[in-house]
Amino acid sequence: MPGLNIPQAAARPASAPAPEAASPVLVGHPGLVVCDECDAVHKRIRLSRGVVARCRRCGALLGRGHVVTPTGQLAFALAALVFLLIGNFAPLVTLDLQGIHKTVTMPHAIWLTAQAGEPITAVLACVTAIVFPAMLVLLRLYVLGSLIRGRVPPGFRFAMRALRFATYWSMVEVFLLSALVSIVRSAGIADLVPGMGLFAYAALTLLLTSTTAAGLHSIWKLGSRLGAG
Amino acid sequence: MMDDEPIQTGRQLGLYSCHTCGRVSERQGHAAPDAPLACPRCGTHLHHRNPRSLERAWAYTWAAIVLYLPANLLPVMTTISLQGAVDHTILGGIHELWMNRDWGLAVIVFVASVAVPIVKIASLVLLLLSAGRNSTWCSRERTALWRGIEAVGHWSMLDVFVVVLLVGMIHFGPLAGVEPEPGLVAFGAVVVLTILGVSSFDPRLLWPDPADNPPQPNASPPPHE
Ligand SMILES: [Zn+2]
Repeated sequence: MPGLNIPQAAARPASAPAPEAASPVLVGHPGLVVCDECDAVHKRIRLSRGVVARCRRCGALLGRGHVVTPTGQLAFALAALVFLLIGNFAPLVTLDLQGIHKTVTMPHAIWLTAQAGEPITAVLACVTAIVFPAMLVLLRLYVLGSLIRGRVPPGFRFAMRALRFATYWSMVEVFLLSALVSIVRSAGIADLVPGMGLFAYAALTLLLTSTTAAGLHSIWKLGSRLGAG
Repeated sequence: MMDDEPIQTGRQLGLYSCHTCGRVSERQGHAAPDAPLACPRCGTHLHHRNPRSLERAWAYTWAAIVLYLPANLLPVMTTISLQGAVDHTILGGIHELWMNRDWGLAVIVFVASVAVPIVKIASLVLLLLSAGRNSTWCSRERTALWRGIEAVGHWSMLDVFVVVLLVGMIHFGPLAGVEPEPGLVAFGAVVVLTILGVSSFDPRLLWPDPADNPPQPNASPPPHE
């Protein structure tokens, strides 16, 4: 655990306006980190790859040394898009009951749930297992695709805030575990073979957890270096 | 690798950290306590303490407590077979897994569907009560508790997905079928409400702040030297 020192005093940049200014002015402090969970101020230190910085006061995660470059993140997002499509269109499992053959995909299961009189549950499952993961992947492609060519995409701020929301509510990893649980629970009823969709969801889970672990601050920084606010 | 320098807080120094983009901003000049400050990089409103955090977190927690009973007492699904239809509750599903000797899965589902929601609701009540009294007791541990319930919250959605998948998988007309039941909506609502409750709680309320020492309402941080 790297030690993080707090500054002796927050140094004010020379260009700062006089404190008597009528309306508040916000001056950036790239050299400082303020803990989101306890408000403690730390000096920013450079983290090498894979190193994690924690708050000296409360132990919150302050930052992580970046493992994946923006280009790498774009490649991950492209691969995630492929697995997302396979995961939703290829069968998760194939079932066989007394000669009746069935393949199951998540969109179809959600559709049947809505048809069976539980539309709210269907919407909840649809947004957390399909819509937000898809938004997360597509927004990453949109934002990173522009940024690595040196351009700030239109609607950058909005896209990034939507990306944060989609990342928070995306539950691909939970969905993967529940697919395994439901396979075990239905194994006694029908003969069952896992399909391509299940393996695609497993790959998608790995890709998304490794890309979202780094957080979005580095993408914001990249955007502001290119002139987005 | 601790050092003994005193902790200074963003509130003391007039520094704001943006929760959306991580930019650290210093406020220059005087601002009314309720003046809206927007992060120059991403536009998020900046606060030293999120406004009405306790009220919002209490509202979500109470709603989750109210829905907790129907979520666990009402059936979440019905299985149809040639022998007839049988209702299943969340606990009933765990019991079946256990009886079928799927002990590992029974434990996983028990943790995700029963233990995590109870621990989350109890922890939220503890955090909200202690933050409401401005308690300075075990701030570090209480923050770790908040971080823990924030991290595990999503896993309770497990049973919602399981039922939806079973509805899609066991769909063989009169031979075998699974139908979703209203208990599942209540259960899903408890999961979403506890996630909202945890995320609307501001853990900075668990920490004493040196800027609070002159006990004025909305005391502004001392002016810059
Ligand atoms: Zn902290």
